[in-house]
Amino acid sequence: MTAAASGPALPVDLRERVLAASLRARAAGRPEPPAPEISPDEAFSRAADAFYGMLRLLQGEHWKRPALRDLDVQGLVGHLTGVEEDVQRCLAGDPEVAAAGHVESTQSAAERQAGRPPARTRAEWRRAADRTVDLVRAADLGAEVAVHGMRIPLGLLLIVRAFELWVHENDIRAAAGLPPSAPDASTLTLMTGAAVRLVPYAAAQAGLSEPTSVHLVLTGPGGGTWDITLGQPPPPPAAIAIVTDALGFCRLAANRTTPAGLGVHITGDQNRATAVLAAVATLALD
Amino acid sequence: MPLAPSHASVRGVGGSDALLAARLTAGDDLALGEIFDHLAPAVYGAALRVLGNEAAAQDVVQDVFVELWSRPGQYDPAIGTLHAYLVVLARHRAVDLVRSELRRVARQERSHRLVPGQSPPSPCEEVMASQAATAVRAALRLLPDNQRVIVELAYFGGLTCREAAKAAGIPEGTAKSRLRLALAKLETMLDRELLESP
Repeated sequence: MTAAASGPALPVDLRERVLAASLRARAAGRPEPPAPEISPDEAFSRAADAFYGMLRLLQGEHWKRPALRDLDVQGLVGHLTGVEEDVQRCLAGDPEVAAAGHVESTQSAAERQAGRPPARTRAEWRRAADRTVDLVRAADLGAEVAVHGMRIPLGLLLIVRAFELWVHENDIRAAAGLPPSAPDASTLTLMTGAAVRLVPYAAAQAGLSEPTSVHLVLTGPGGGTWDITLGQPPPPPAAIAIVTDALGFCRLAANRTTPAGLGVHITGDQNRATAVLAAVATLALD
Repeated sequence: MPLAPSHASVRGVGGSDALLAARLTAGDDLALGEIFDHLAPAVYGAALRVLGNEAAAQDVVQDVFVELWSRPGQYDPAIGTLHAYLVVLARHRAVDLVRSELRRVARQERSHRLVPGQSPPSPCEEVMASQAATAVRAALRLLPDNQRVIVELAYFGGLTCREAAKAAGIPEGTAKSRLRLALAKLETMLDRELLESP
């Protein structure tokens, strides 16, 4: 579709009438068909099950392979056990974990795995994840919690945690030579929603103060369309439009790909769009 | 950090029609506007050729775009272009309108025969009948003469079947039979027109 197809001239008001009727039938921004809705604790539970399922695929020699930073696979699983322990302390009202570093605070849990049988590391993580699931099941997901420098609603924290489990599951899959995995559409929908919600924060942290409106379209399962306003005062609509697939966008938000490595379609200011995408990559906790 | 070229395709999405389809599925209203700007004239033209009436063709354009937006998954880029999909959809909708009008006129004809002295059709009904008539005229020219004459008398001349039979100088039963045959052929011919027209 490169040029307007020929045909008789249209009445001047037909475009407005047709688009209005279309948007009455289906609101803008919503994917069709929509993914079945799930709660944040369900998303976390599913991500934990997927992570555990991957751990059960690992052979003995996989556990010693380098996975992330200076951690081998076993150390990375230990890091995640440490994160669960910090989340549980946060839920118990321990103020010390509010400002604790995500990596520093969990380093001891990662290091204590050295020399252990992998099955013990795996079982310890499973118990920790199950305990988190049990604790949040009856909790108020709208209540604000503070952990690892974040002060966010518990529901959002659980989505961030599901995101983290999926990212590290794929770190380990890559280390072990296993094929990558994708979350189901319902979980991915929550993940993309959370990542998009944090884009203005990421842009501000990256120093993008110039008012910009971004029309962001994420295609495929977990996708949707958002109009995001960056900077102050509020800019006019749609200065730039970015179209990319939802899974790729999540990999970017996890800093597991670069804007250059992301299949993307941009209209408008290329440099500004590139800067926004680069800012998204800084959302990663690691 | 350099990006892919300005209009690089999204990973996993092929040509531009596939990209547009993916954007529609994601709820991108700007994509709908782009598609309207590029393809609405062709959609309108396709509907207008069948219906011969601007207002009815505009209604078809609205139906087609609401359908595309509401059920974007119905369009499969692997099967054909978005242009072809929308034009065929428009023709289907237009022919459905004509068929519906033919059935309505036939019902009205039967009703007039059964209830003498019934009130004449409203101006609105006459306009609708006129729209359908425009589309049918082209197909009429392809009917055998003896069937075409009876349809013209009954359909365009406004005669009852009995009056049309008398005007054509044939028995009423023969006129009814020819009218039935003619209407069946008209539907078939409108289908063929749908498939063969550009």
